[in-house]
Amino acid sequence: MGKYRTAMIEVRNLSQTFVSPKGSFRALEDVNLSIPDHDFIAIIGRSGAGKSTFLRTLNGLLIPSEGSVVVGATDITQLSKRALQKYRCKVGFIFQQFNLVNRLSVLDNVLHGRLGYLPTWRGLLGLYTEHDYEVARAQLARLDLSTKENARVDSLSGGQMQRVAIARAMAQEPALILADEPAANLDPVLSEEVMRTLRGFNAEQGVTVVINIHALDLALEYAKRIIAFKRGRLVFDGRPAELSDALVDDIYERKEMLA
Amino acid sequence: MIAIVLYVLSGIAIALLSGIAKGSMRRLWLGAAVGLLIAFVAFPFSRSLGNLTRETVNPTLLALATDFPWLFGLPVLLILTLLIARRGGPRGAWTAVVTGVATLLAGLVFYSQPVHLVRLAPINGLMELLTALVLLGAIGLAAWNRPRLRWPLLAVGLVAGVLAFFWLNSSQGGHTYLPNSAGYYKLLRPTPAGANLQLVDAYNAGLQARNQVAKENGLALAEPIQSLADLKGKIPAEAANQGYRMLQPSRLQYGAFAVFVLAGLMLGAGLLHLRNLRLEETGDLQAGVVLASVFSLLLPAFNATEFNPAKLVKGWPFLVQFGQKAWPPLLADPSTNRFPLQEVLSFMTITVEIALVGTFIAALVALPTSFLAARNLTGASPWMRGVFYFTRAFYNVDRGIDTLILALILVAAVGLGPFAGVLAMAIHSVADLGKLYSEAIENVDKGPIEALESTGTAGVNVLRWAILPQVLPLLVSYTVYRFEINFRVSIILGFVGAGGIGFFIQGAMAAGQYDQMIIGVIAIVIVVNLIDFASSYLRSRLV
Repeated sequence: MGKYRTAMIEVRNLSQTFVSPKGSFRALEDVNLSIPDHDFIAIIGRSGAGKSTFLRTLNGLLIPSEGSVVVGATDITQLSKRALQKYRCKVGFIFQQFNLVNRLSVLDNVLHGRLGYLPTWRGLLGLYTEHDYEVARAQLARLDLSTKENARVDSLSGGQMQRVAIARAMAQEPALILADEPAANLDPVLSEEVMRTLRGFNAEQGVTVVINIHALDLALEYAKRIIAFKRGRLVFDGRPAELSDALVDDIYERKEMLA
Repeated sequence: MIAIVLYVLSGIAIALLSGIAKGSMRRLWLGAAVGLLIAFVAFPFSRSLGNLTRETVNPTLLALATDFPWLFGLPVLLILTLLIARRGGPRGAWTAVVTGVATLLAGLVFYSQPVHLVRLAPINGLMELLTALVLLGAIGLAAWNRPRLRWPLLAVGLVAGVLAFFWLNSSQGGHTYLPNSAGYYKLLRPTPAGANLQLVDAYNAGLQARNQVAKENGLALAEPIQSLADLKGKIPAEAANQGYRMLQPSRLQYGAFAVFVLAGLMLGAGLLHLRNLRLEETGDLQAGVVLASVFSLLLPAFNATEFNPAKLVKGWPFLVQFGQKAWPPLLADPSTNRFPLQEVLSFMTITVEIALVGTFIAALVALPTSFLAARNLTGASPWMRGVFYFTRAFYNVDRGIDTLILALILVAAVGLGPFAGVLAMAIHSVADLGKLYSEAIENVDKGPIEALESTGTAGVNVLRWAILPQVLPLLVSYTVYRFEINFRVSIILGFVGAGGIGFFIQGAMAAGQYDQMIIGVIAIVIVVNLIDFASSYLRSRLV
């Protein structure tokens, strides 16, 4: 499974400050972390703790104010636009809102995962290669969507849409999958299904998975490693078993009334 | 005099009608007070004549107040009314009644004044100052919602205002661009004692020389006069040049209409308010100001457009005659080898085809340029921002130049016929479509864009696969709608020689062939409705 192999990701002294007319907001504060190959990491923390910012920094959708994200030997925060596009080909991103193009067919949406590999002019004309179609159809089959291939996305259910989004990410043949609350819009059964799918990719194909998640039970059940953000700082990094109730209360800033 | 009574009664009637509907009476009399203040300063109330028609000056009440100082009491009373109105209750209502009656009486007293001589006192620099203030106000308004730019922009507005003021007041290289604005607002001053007799003497002294000239040109000779009244309201040319005018208090202008209607309204609303003190609401002052503003915008507009139903009554026989000549339509007359129905059908086809081609070319140009005019796609670099502003500016200028004007110019360039019309339509519609397209692009769902960017897709392909599929139905819908508008535009294009049914109608009208013209009109009604129906059906299916 050579095409799914990646190098270690080293995050060093990462800080992110957003400046708006209303003032500046420190979303990430001096984060240091290394993500080895084949890892399955769940990121927990309250809303606004910096989880999404961190995830978007890992594929270069956001450029950090300070610090570096080194993949193998290259610092992706310093890449040119073109080089960054090349890096992103190998990084699948799954969104909470699925972010599919609703008016296009399921197959078209999954093929979007292959656009990064095509020359621009072929992309404009939609001239995908036979290989692209094979990869896309294989992912559809794996996610049980083969019969929906020609359906328009806006005719699907929420669970099906998220599976299309996962198929699109997997069609990239990624080394790394980043998932931002992939299950938050789904019911508990579908949430479990999404997590099982991601664990399957991780276990069978060795894809590194980093996932933001609110549902603590799912994180503990499926992830190999948990990291926690609190107000932009990394406050926990360890195996699920190491996460005590007291720590969880601290991460979620839960103030319980003492009897 | 009957007119005045009618004006006052109609004011009272408005108050009564609104009172029956339990509308706020305080709002009405507050609005009337604001309206009266505006009328006092800005609306011509009466007329004063010089020697020539263009020397006529229509003074406002403010201008008349320098001749009749007691008129200054009116604005004082009105402002007092506005101040007392804040409290509401019977005191406000009483003030409204008193002010209404006082305004009425002031108007009537002025109306019954005799014709007499006055002298103009132009206020130099007033219009220039107003222009400067409007400039400052406009920039200030733009600055209001931008807290960071507020003070710099206000400073720019101030500098612009001062510059405009001095530019308008400068000699501007020996001539002036706006000759009417200098001393446009004129006050009327009383004349010194004996001015009347002096003017009569001067007129009689110059009479012989003038009659000499008149005799050589074979014109009627003038008689010596005993008083200025012998000139029937006019005054001698020399006197007019010296700034004298003959004030005619009973020749009322539209300002008088405003004053008497509003006084009646104020009186009526005040009385009804007294009768039922609950007829007041919290937002009365704002609503009153809005009412007064609308009234003050509409009234001068009606006056300027010479709105006059009497003319319609006078012209009625022509309409009857037109109807008799137009019906029944002459569909075909083989004996003279004329087939109007055939012509209408051919011209109508051309009209639709002009709209089709014009809209198509416009869409073709608007599609690529609208991406450059979308704010969300052009934020990447200062260079792209520049392109954005350039495209937007092009659209805005182009939108301002109407298809008909473009057609006039293009007919001169490429000759009579539909090609000029197509070009004009295409050029104008680019801006309209481009603006609609770019707004559709700006409102696109950002999710798919982010998703495609994160698969490593290059910029143009993000446009192609994340944005285009989302906006395409909207773009088609806008284009169909524009075609619908363009069809109606292309009807008119014929009138400037740019082809189509308008050309036929113009020709038939000019030749008095109303029974042929009417076929064109009926055809337009039918086709306009067909296209509207088809267009709205198509658009409802698209989105």
